[in-house]
Amino acid sequence: MSEVFTKSMARNIYYGGSLFFILLFLALTFDTDGTLPKRDNRAALTEQVALGKKVWEENDCIGCHTLLGEGAYFAPELGNVYKRFGNSTAAIVGFIKGRPPEGIPGRRSMPQFNLSDEELEAVAAFLKYASEIDTANWPPNIQG
Amino acid sequence: MQYRSQAVAKPYFIAAIGLFVGQILFGLVMGLQYVWGDFLFPEIPFNVARMVHTNLLIVWLLFGFMGAAYYLVPEESERELHSPGLAILLFWVFLIAGALTILGYLLVPYAGLAKLTGNDLLPTMGREFLEQPTITKIGIVIVALGFLYNIGLTILGGRKTVVNLVLLTGLTGLALLFLFAFYNPDNLVKDKFYWWWVVHLWVEGVWELILGSILAFVLIKVTGVDREVIEKWLYVIIAMTLITGIIGTGHHYYWIGTPEYWQWWGSIFSAMEPIPFFMMTVFAFNMVNRRRREHPNKAAVLWALGTAVMAFLGAGVWGFLHTLAPVNYYTHGTQITAAHGHMAFYGAYVMIVLTMISYAMPILRGQEASDERSQVLEMWSFWLMTVSMVFITLFLTGAGILQVWLQRYSTDPIPFMAAQEKIAIFYWLREIAGVVFLIGLVLYVVSFFVKGGRPAMASAADTA
Amino acid sequence: MDMTAGLPAATEQRSLPGDFAIWIFIYAELLVFGVFFLAYAFARSHNVELFDAQQRFLDRNTGAINTLVLITSSFLVVRAVNAIRRDAAAVCARWLTAAIACGGIFVALKLGEFHAKFAAGVTLSTNTFYMFYLSLTFFHFMHVLMGMVILAVVAVKARRGAYSAASHTGVETGASYWHMVDLVWIVLFPLVYVMH
Repeated sequence: MSEVFTKSMARNIYYGGSLFFILLFLALTFDTDGTLPKRDNRAALTEQVALGKKVWEENDCIGCHTLLGEGAYFAPELGNVYKRFGNSTAAIVGFIKGRPPEGIPGRRSMPQFNLSDEELEAVAAFLKYASEIDTANWPPNIQG
Repeated sequence: MQYRSQAVAKPYFIAAIGLFVGQILFGLVMGLQYVWGDFLFPEIPFNVARMVHTNLLIVWLLFGFMGAAYYLVPEESERELHSPGLAILLFWVFLIAGALTILGYLLVPYAGLAKLTGNDLLPTMGREFLEQPTITKIGIVIVALGFLYNIGLTILGGRKTVVNLVLLTGLTGLALLFLFAFYNPDNLVKDKFYWWWVVHLWVEGVWELILGSILAFVLIKVTGVDREVIEKWLYVIIAMTLITGIIGTGHHYYWIGTPEYWQWWGSIFSAMEPIPFFMMTVFAFNMVNRRRREHPNKAAVLWALGTAVMAFLGAGVWGFLHTLAPVNYYTHGTQITAAHGHMAFYGAYVMIVLTMISYAMPILRGQEASDERSQVLEMWSFWLMTVSMVFITLFLTGAGILQVWLQRYSTDPIPFMAAQEKIAIFYWLREIAGVVFLIGLVLYVVSFFVKGGRPAMASAADTA
Repeated sequence: MDMTAGLPAATEQRSLPGDFAIWIFIYAELLVFGVFFLAYAFARSHNVELFDAQQRFLDRNTGAINTLVLITSSFLVVRAVNAIRRDAAAVCARWLTAAIACGGIFVALKLGEFHAKFAAGVTLSTNTFYMFYLSLTFFHFMHVLMGMVILAVVAVKARRGAYSAASHTGVETGASYWHMVDLVWIVLFPLVYVMH
């Protein structure tokens, strides 16, 4: 009788199984890509929003905050901050602008990034865009 | 050491340990900032400290993986490395690029760094774990390609073992998937979707192949168990890893604007991700129990078994805790995630690199195993680091459960910062555990310089 | 987990047909499908009306024919194993080819069914019922394709004389996998198409 548990069969399962699930993953990715237009709020993707995303990235906001739950857990979730601030981009602009450069003694403080008005408006527009993505009702409540 | 070119692993291991120390120091800074909000503000804001902490982790693990590959590939292939000179050159390129990047984070405001490095040309910065300037990312790709070329030619021109082939697939996948770091569309949902192809498919995909092959190599060496047996279990375990882990990516696609069927697909497949880790634990203990020799390097055996256990706990159990969509709805992006991240990275990747260093470093320094006093100290550092990491995880889990309750689940949810103040005690406890971890790490470094006690002698004649 | 599998001592008391490695894979697959079925039951219990209403749009006749086709193919695979046990390699290959042909019929009918659904605008995001219907049947469909590839490899090797009465683990390995694919469908069909 031949061996019951062969290395070659284990290898076949590794290669075959991996290929199988890679293909399945690609199929699901393909479907996701087709479904995204209904969910990702791409209609609101203006040049201003794109600039806002760049401002968001170039100041490493994700290093303290979460956005749709991803990022650092040091500061509040911002995926829904537009709604939490009463559906107001002006409130977002005002908050970022008003951060004291030396921080608030003893408390976690957001740095003063010295953004231009154009950048401030853009990042607020980006956060508004993010708040209108269909996230399957996440976060559970307005506190994020 | 069987092949002279294995010696190139040594600087890689030393750099890895050095950067590890830096990572932990910045971890302590962040831990303190959690409770002492304006500590080092505005000189080192939290986001900078975090970038340094996570980027150093990734870089030193990559140094560790590369060192491990340079050590084990010649021995497995039964020939010298294709080009030791290239390995040393790439070492300096990677170290200098890494150091410059970290200095850039610390000395220049991040927006200034973006301008300085021409982020406008190809914006890739400012995404979690991928904060490196685009030019650094290109450098990483070049180093990875040079490394793969060197390792690949060595493997293809020599004996092709399963350990080698699995390692090579893992490293190739690592390099290929990193290319998605250059894809950064304006569409936030798409950005996040493919960002996970780097992050998830690294740590819950190809890195596990690297982990599995290094563990298999060390087990072959320290237990003397027949290679055939170890290799086929390696195949089965990594097959299970990819079967569950690839679709398991779906557990990141619940709440980021992706279709809702991912909640089912992601839950079902990621619920099975603990299985390969459990198999790895059983496998490692089984092999050590059936050992055919008493290897004098007791510390390396301890690290190997520790990896198997802690990877299962951190990645398997703590991952499962919050992987089901209805649970994740409440825990997504809380301290629960942080708890899982800490123990999983420590248990799976930190420990496997330390396992390899523990096994290989004495040999690189001309002994089969370190002196007894050195090993005792190393085992002390193992327990201090491991136990303190368990406590860090438990404290963060406690913080996370309370955070979920206060901010997400109770009938009267309170704001983020109000909840953070109420759970501050857990952050203090975490910081104390972090200090113990640092003490363990210092002992670990010291153990390399301690001599004496009964010289650890080989029980078998071979110094494999 | 039995780490001694594969060592000489273990060969005498073997109980599973085929290679032990395929059985690890089969158990894993059955676990995935099992959890998927439980998830279906769970989702249905929260949405009985939707599931019952949508289920009526499924093509039960094609499903029933496919069930018969797969059961037949399993029978053909059994004949193939019996043939190789009598050392009749060419006969074994012919039975396997017939089983693969049955798999082909299944695939053709299934493609027709998918085509009709896609033409009607059904997607994974249509509703929870269709999410499960498409996920489960497509996932199983991919298994049928994979099973056909495996059987084809075994058939080619059988024809080349790679197996004998004394040594035919490969045939049993392929057969075990194919039976698993069949078994999953036998649960899937009544669960998704019929029961309400």
